[in-house]
Amino acid sequence: MYQVEASKALLKPRLWMRNPALPRVPRNVVLLGLVSMLTDVSSEMVATVLPMYLVFTLGASPLALGAIDGTYRGAAALVQVASGFAADRWRKPKEVAASGYGLSALGKVALVAAGGTIGGIGAIVAFDRVGKGIRTAPRDALISLSSSKAGLATAFGVHRAMDSAGAMLGPLVAFAILLAAPARFDAVFVVSTLFAILGLAVLVLTVQGRPRRAPRRADGAPSLRAAAGLLRDPRFGLLLLAAGILSIASVSDALIYVGLQRKVDFEPAVFPLLYVFTAVAFMVLAIPFGQLADRIGKVPVLLAGHGLLLVVYAALAMGSLGYGVLVLCLVCLGGYFAATEGVMTAFAGALLPASLQASGIGILITVVSVGRLLSSLAFGALWFGLGLQHAVLGFGAALVLAILAAIPLLLRARRYPAHG
Amino acid sequence: MGSRRGWALVAIVAVCAIGGAAYVAVAALGPSQTTTPASPDLEAARFRGELMVRAVDPAEPRLNGHVYVVAGGDVRRRSGGDLTCERVYFAAGHGICMRVADSGVDYDATIFDSRLRPTGGFPLTGLPSRARVSADGRYGAMTVFVAGDAYLGSSAAFSTRTTIVEMSSGRQLGQLEQFAVSRDGAPFDAVDFNFWGMTFAPGDSNRFYATLATGGHHYLVEGDVRARTMRVLRDGVECPSLSPDGTRIAYKSRIGDSNRWRLRVLDLDTLASHPLAERRSIDDQAEWLDERTLVYSDGVDVFAVPADGGGRPRLLVRDATSPVSLHRALD
Repeated sequence: MYQVEASKALLKPRLWMRNPALPRVPRNVVLLGLVSMLTDVSSEMVATVLPMYLVFTLGASPLALGAIDGTYRGAAALVQVASGFAADRWRKPKEVAASGYGLSALGKVALVAAGGTIGGIGAIVAFDRVGKGIRTAPRDALISLSSSKAGLATAFGVHRAMDSAGAMLGPLVAFAILLAAPARFDAVFVVSTLFAILGLAVLVLTVQGRPRRAPRRADGAPSLRAAAGLLRDPRFGLLLLAAGILSIASVSDALIYVGLQRKVDFEPAVFPLLYVFTAVAFMVLAIPFGQLADRIGKVPVLLAGHGLLLVVYAALAMGSLGYGVLVLCLVCLGGYFAATEGVMTAFAGALLPASLQASGIGILITVVSVGRLLSSLAFGALWFGLGLQHAVLGFGAALVLAILAAIPLLLRARRYPAHG
Repeated sequence: MGSRRGWALVAIVAVCAIGGAAYVAVAALGPSQTTTPASPDLEAARFRGELMVRAVDPAEPRLNGHVYVVAGGDVRRRSGGDLTCERVYFAAGHGICMRVADSGVDYDATIFDSRLRPTGGFPLTGLPSRARVSADGRYGAMTVFVAGDAYLGSSAAFSTRTTIVEMSSGRQLGQLEQFAVSRDGAPFDAVDFNFWGMTFAPGDSNRFYATLATGGHHYLVEGDVRARTMRVLRDGVECPSLSPDGTRIAYKSRIGDSNRWRLRVLDLDTLASHPLAERRSIDDQAEWLDERTLVYSDGVDVFAVPADGGGRPRLLVRDATSPVSLHRALD
């Protein structure tokens, strides 16, 4: 299958780390990447087979499945701000992250044990989502605190590449099990649980919970007021503003795929390949773009990343497209994720005081996801009212304006003296 | 890292690897599927007014999906069983079987003849949902559910895709998503267009009806296969099914915004509609057994109910879904 590419790209971080010209990636970051990879193998295995399992074994309507999945997105956004602050407050990012990974693993155990009912599966999906919400901000804070400021973007690049490698390996493992044992979903759930447990074990047993940039004990626990003060912090506030503006002008990848499908008259069987191409591009480009951001600065890479999204918009605004342009669009889309997702978090990590890393990253993630939600709603409404062409042109203009507005904000955010 | 932690990790990895491998090995070497003999003659079944169904056996999930022809509603007097489908339909010598592919992990559509022998097929891109063949056996229509992917945090909302095929050649003629839609004479398009549940006009297989879902509405659309066009007729109609005389449409009518439906019949001349005697929520595309009777499945058993809204539902075949009236299919 085409997803075999994933295993090759897995080797990339190792090859790259031997390159002596570049700063070493801290062991903690690689271990956290391994934790995310194992956890993603676990959750993507289940995500791959859940529709088949629900519909064919339990006789559920796929509509019920849509409802199961959609319910918990909002809750996750709130959870990540709270868990970020909790990690800072107790100065235990590793333990808070572990509780999130543990909750997801517990959900998998419950899937094996109970399984049988739609309500039960809804609860398990909820466990997984809440667990993801809890772990993201403290884990990113750990990555940030484990890295030198000069190598932050590279560290996040390594983590994101390993993370998406896991997301691509998961379906492969699930398919391999179902090939060996047809219709034995229980075997998929059992192996998924084991991967979740392995991820948790690597985190608990190997990851250093108090990395070198961790706040000193003498600093005292940060107050809620201090965390809320981040919103008024001149540098972080500017970054949040820039991230918010850029995310509102960025159409979600799901909508871009639907748009591409309308423009390129391809066989329906090609559709799943769109995700795979984008994910491979993301995985392959995450590390080089991170290195580039550390070498020439995060601001130009962030802006160029959004420029790649503009290329996708431009292609969507044209008439009908050929396969060549389609592949170019997907590479640009993967490149956009690679140049923005981890780099933006690294930017925040460099600006934030060590004592408020997790809180700040939690706030940033929430702002970006709310911005994306608003942009999806707006894009859908524009498409409905004016058609795809006008919607894309409108968003293209908005993105150009957003990039122009973000330039001074990001440059000023960078120029203020950094916290110690 | 202390060496104690190192050993603990090694132990956990070993236990997980051995345990996982053992579980998968036992699952893979478990009892294999039993097969059922005898292929039925659908041409002969016609004269006895029989029904084709897909078995759902709660006791033995491995037998799920086997397609049988049942006589007089008695599932014990059955033939067939070689074909395994998630959704099945048949008319005028041509059948569609939407099924899990031989790989066990993908789906495909198999086209079969009146002895349930496969004659062609092609891969499907999602979970099988609805299948129909026009009464003359010329065109087939298939709806699949396509899951949005979870990569990169994109939304995982479900969407549907409906494909038309030429049954004799197995050639795909296109998807409804590519057809031009009009409403009140003006072009109509939106990002959230989804189509499902096609039904072909009995006398003219080029003409069809289907459901167009957009912005919380579920429109009945009437379409033209060759012209690749559709026009919106009215709101609130899902999974239409045309009566054999082409004058009425049986459909499911959503209760509020819920995922619950009542079965109703719409008269195409008067546009009046009435509910059927089935009071439970039914998520199925109903099938006309004859001009007066509809059959459908509640996901567990197949029931029949009078089309005029009177009477009461009666159990027709136990442990079965996807009913196809062979009486009609072979006329």
